[in-house]
Amino acid sequence: MTFANVFITGIGIISPVGTGVQENLEAIRTAKSGLRPLSLFPVANPFPAGEIHPDPGLGLDPDLPRTHALALRAAREALARENTPPDAIVIGVTTGGMPKTELLLREKNPHPDAYRWHGAGTVATCLARELKCPGPAFTISTACSSGAAALIFGLALIRSGIALRVLAGGADGLCRFTYFGFNSLQLLDPQGARPLDKNRAGMSLGEGAAMLLLVGAGPAPENAIARLAGGGLSCDAYHATAPRPDGAGAFTAMREAIIDAGLAIEDIDYINLHGTGTIDNDAAETTAIKKLFGKTIPELSSLKGMTGHSLGAAGAIDAAVCALGLEQGIVPANAGFREADPRIGISPRPQPHFRPLHRLLSNSFGFGGNNAALVITAPGETTSASRNFALPALRVRGSSCLTGAGGINPTLDKFISGNSAAGMLRDEEIVKDLPVRAIRRLKRLPRLALSLAAAAQLDAALKENPAAVFFGTAWGPLSETYDFLMKLFETKESSSSPTDFIGSVHNAPAGQVALWFQATGANLTAACGDYSFEQALLMASLFSPAGKFSIVLGAEETHPLFSPRLDASVAGDAVASDGGGALIVTPAEAESGTRMKSLFFSSGHNAGAAMASLVSALGGLEIIRGKYGVLFAGIPGADDARAREQMNIFLSLTGFPGPVIDYRRYTGQYAAAAAIASVLAVRLIANGKIPRSLTGAEDLVLEKKGILILGLGPQITAMEARG
Amino acid sequence: MEALIAELKKKLVETINLPEVNPDSIDINAPLVGGELGIDSIDILELVVMIEQDYGVKIDSKEVGKQVFANLKSLAEYIAAHRTQ
Repeated sequence: MTFANVFITGIGIISPVGTGVQENLEAIRTAKSGLRPLSLFPVANPFPAGEIHPDPGLGLDPDLPRTHALALRAAREALARENTPPDAIVIGVTTGGMPKTELLLREKNPHPDAYRWHGAGTVATCLARELKCPGPAFTISTACSSGAAALIFGLALIRSGIALRVLAGGADGLCRFTYFGFNSLQLLDPQGARPLDKNRAGMSLGEGAAMLLLVGAGPAPENAIARLAGGGLSCDAYHATAPRPDGAGAFTAMREAIIDAGLAIEDIDYINLHGTGTIDNDAAETTAIKKLFGKTIPELSSLKGMTGHSLGAAGAIDAAVCALGLEQGIVPANAGFREADPRIGISPRPQPHFRPLHRLLSNSFGFGGNNAALVITAPGETTSASRNFALPALRVRGSSCLTGAGGINPTLDKFISGNSAAGMLRDEEIVKDLPVRAIRRLKRLPRLALSLAAAAQLDAALKENPAAVFFGTAWGPLSETYDFLMKLFETKESSSSPTDFIGSVHNAPAGQVALWFQATGANLTAACGDYSFEQALLMASLFSPAGKFSIVLGAEETHPLFSPRLDASVAGDAVASDGGGALIVTPAEAESGTRMKSLFFSSGHNAGAAMASLVSALGGLEIIRGKYGVLFAGIPGADDARAREQMNIFLSLTGFPGPVIDYRRYTGQYAAAAAIASVLAVRLIANGKIPRSLTGAEDLVLEKKGILILGLGPQITAMEARG
Repeated sequence: MEALIAELKKKLVETINLPEVNPDSIDINAPLVGGELGIDSIDILELVVMIEQDYGVKIDSKEVGKQVFANLKSLAEYIAAHRTQ
């Protein structure tokens, strides 16, 4: 069942100005500032920051990093009046377990168990466990637009009928990594953030979390606080960090959000700015607003002079405050603003303003040129417009992969002959077709991503470039992350590399791919552990622009020192391996050509229930046996026993007669193995048969049958490749 | 000054990873940012870190930075005038 209207029926928020909705509302009514000189850790000349005191982890599992604790507090508040857990969780984060990991690396802690909450994807899985959510736990990591992008993803999940109730939001804990990182970029204002002010000199770092319960319904339910009416995504494809000065990317995201909500530009009566207080952001954002709204610019303000910039949480905190502002009739203050900047020519109010609001816009922009905008309306402003939100299959126009064996051809040769392509490709091999200038600042993961993108585009032989980028990575750029911290600690926390900081965000490789293709459409990065590629494919299905091409890719780098502490599957494998795969796709209009489709996501904790719902989602055993000739099973080494048990349940439920291929035996163990399996599946479909070396018996002619690709372990996923 | 300029050319190429550029070929009067070398604001920040570490010279204001990083000659002169190591 799908719904055109999605309502916000629960809110949880923890920010530097208050814990919980009531404290935050009171702070917004009184424009209370949450900025104080940094005190969480020792710094020579601490700049103002938005910190949360007392420690949000108090009373929770002491092993949980700050980000997880913040997210959990917000999630519990959002669900306080609910009797049942949500169908799915989506969270936007950038730091993940970094508040803890940086200390572990500083003390040179070698124990993998201590790092178990490092992954960005573990915030969502921690929430799912604590809240007993049986559905999928998705993570979006698009730097400072993560929280807003997570809400747009949640909206799309409900519209397409994948879930009815989604808990979506963002969280990020303040840590050395981000403080010293932004400091190395000279982006912190020594006097505290002053968004839009003439003398603004940068942002203030903050922290926090907001989680919103999104519910699909016809008319507004009684407990609806506001309605999440639309979302817009775009990418600047301009620079790794600096926004396009003409604001074209911000303009597109805002316009798309308004169109998506079925509204006109003049319907918007308030804009919640990204408004970080940096010279460039505020100039570009207001340029875009002037271009979009012309002479009648709605009232606008940025929260960041009060709260600081909480990175992955910011878009969700903004959305929560906007929803509460709509309900209560409060336009939040633009704290820190004193004097108008003649280059901007807009004067926001430094005090809150009490008046009714109806339809507002909330902006979030991030590194990599990622832009996200939301439209939130009063709950009564529903739409009856009927649109088709059904999830399309994606037609595959080109593909590429990189493994220890090399590119697609050597990898396919190994696979077809039943040999392993495990190992790590030498750097010279990865970059051999890339121009020196394009890669001079890039380390292993972005190099893998760019090389995959270039090869897939070559294979697709298209005249036009992909317009949108969907990327999946469990661990993000580990070399940049590790090198940044090592330099920081070697210099006794006095110096760090701006290049490594910029390159360390999970979405940096996707930003590079967008630059390469000049892809100005949606640009989303999933950090969903071993299922990151699967989530990227789902995002591509939900957000690929019709009539255009998109690239979906999954890649992982294995870092010799860092990876074995983080990923038990990597640590347990005989050969260190990494690589990835990429597909150039377009929404399929007809049942023709090779197609990939995202089919299923759930938690894998209750194996029996999860496999039964998988079989039912795939259409039952007859359809499964008729539709698929072979099954690719993703069995993470660290979860071997559980994954095999799940596989056996699936086989006994369906009596599936075809061969089952444990594809990590051929790729090696790492989180992007599913991306390579998908590319191999697409190629085998084109070949029309599965060789005996893989089936273990005779050659298998596929005829019209497809390949079912299952992801097993802590989450269960299913994708199909069909001809 | 000659020695400092030669050293800076080498460090520039190493710090911001321009393996295809011969240090000796860098024109000390050519604009650093947006010129032939393809240097941008991130490279400048990376150079700021290097200059602080290697010469003890702090450049933490955008106005000062603009003048200092105009070209290699202005950079060398600023370092020579302010260096502590």
